[in-house]
Amino acid sequence: MLEVRDLHVTRGATEVLKGISLEVLEGETAALIGANGAGKSTTLLTLSGLLRAKSGTVRFEGASGSIDLTKLAAERIVGEGLVQCPEGRQIFHSLSVEENLSMGGYLRRDRASLGSSIEEVHALFPILKERAKAAGGTLSGGEQMMLAIGRALLARPRLLLLDEPSLGLAPQMIERIFDVIETLKKRGTTILLVEQNAAMALDIADRAYVLENGRITLSGSGRELADNDRVRQAYLGIAS
Amino acid sequence: MSQYVFQQLINGLSLGSLYALVAIGFSMIYGIVRLINFAHGDLVMIGAFSTLGFVAMGVPWPLILVFVLMIGALAGMTIEATIFRPMRGAQQVTGFIATLAVSIVIQNVGLMTLSGQPRNFSFPAFMRQRVQLGSVSASVTDLSIIGLTLLLIALLLVVVYRTRLGTAMRATADNLMAARLMGIAVNRTILFAFAIGSGLAAVAGLMWGGKFGQIDPLLGFAPGLKAFIACVIGGVGSIGGAMLGGYLLGLAEVLFVGLLPPAFSGYRDVFVFTMLIIILLLKPSGLFVRHVEERA
Repeated sequence: MLEVRDLHVTRGATEVLKGISLEVLEGETAALIGANGAGKSTTLLTLSGLLRAKSGTVRFEGASGSIDLTKLAAERIVGEGLVQCPEGRQIFHSLSVEENLSMGGYLRRDRASLGSSIEEVHALFPILKERAKAAGGTLSGGEQMMLAIGRALLARPRLLLLDEPSLGLAPQMIERIFDVIETLKKRGTTILLVEQNAAMALDIADRAYVLENGRITLSGSGRELADNDRVRQAYLGIAS
Repeated sequence: MSQYVFQQLINGLSLGSLYALVAIGFSMIYGIVRLINFAHGDLVMIGAFSTLGFVAMGVPWPLILVFVLMIGALAGMTIEATIFRPMRGAQQVTGFIATLAVSIVIQNVGLMTLSGQPRNFSFPAFMRQRVQLGSVSASVTDLSIIGLTLLLIALLLVVVYRTRLGTAMRATADNLMAARLMGIAVNRTILFAFAIGSGLAAVAGLMWGGKFGQIDPLLGFAPGLKAFIACVIGGVGSIGGAMLGGYLLGLAEVLFVGLLPPAFSGYRDVFVFTMLIIILLLKPSGLFVRHVEERA
């Protein structure tokens, strides 16, 4: 579904990604874990076309076939089915919950089935229906996260990128969000999850990568990485 | 109500309509690209001179209105696409200086090609008649300016709050990055905001010429500055705030002059700017905005 080869990205004078390669197969949930500043968000922003790669390729099985995303405009990438739910939620504060969701479906031509998609999102997150008319900015952090995920789902992702969905949320809400990710996974949504909360991410992931200083230093199944001594020490806070 | 007070009120509302039309565009543009656009007032001038041109060509007035709106929109889109867009990533002050430069270029090209000599500008004769409303009367020009402005604002609100493109525009103004991640072609929504804002400013130019009877290539300076003040009073970035700010400013200007002894009339701008300072001291984010969100 997604195959990243030798991706280099610079921001300002700094080379943030120093040639990373990773892949996500259809139906899989992949996790990208790493410390602050390792380049996780840079990776996702490059995939979405908001940052430009200096070199390397991003091959994606999109709506119009297998394409290289590195030269594509951000709106085309969404159209191809690679949709990101960004770090810090980034909902539209001044727009109503309803309008936020409709912006998720901005590129969809099938106006008719959009309504039933919104109902599906409402079924997943009933609070979004209750607060349909409320301004996005008045929602609590957890509700905003649900709105951000709902909005991304309405773009009908073939591959959903989730950037730090647990960031800044109460433990109970993190639990809830991961339940939803689990549900999406069971429904066959392909997911690339970026997390600092490595324990939960590795638990849910079929495949995982560790990103350190702009390089992939470890990869394997979620289970393998969770059992890896270095990962346990560095990311799971377990002394070996 | 005496005819005198009524006349002042109508005057204030029609001047306020002009300020509101210009201020709304100013505010929309600031809201979406965080650009204080000092070239915005010059679209008023472009609108006024285009009107004069169409009148000379014998185009009927209703069509002139549509054409002027389109010329303003095209001019605004051209400026955005060729000058402001390439500077998007730059610091805010770069864009700000660029708008000053654009304004100076437009004004001087105007002076060179149209000459600095003021030209007479007149609406058709029936516009200069007065309508009797009970014991008071008002000019058709003022009433038309007020009516047309309210109609345009109503249309604008429908576009901005009830259409898909309008919602996308508000989304872009709210969070540019998230808008891009939702597949919104933000350059297109920004272009759209420039088109609407500039079109409204050009129509204000048509009205400006009819109200004051004379136009010259530098006439855009005053409405540009007043629109900026109206936005600051109302709260920058909000359409409703810009509209109310515009009307408040127009009414205040006219009423200061009209209701105080004639000796004070020269102090009109002093009063207006004193009012601005007081409002900013008391409510820094503007009168009609509840909170201001700082954005990097």
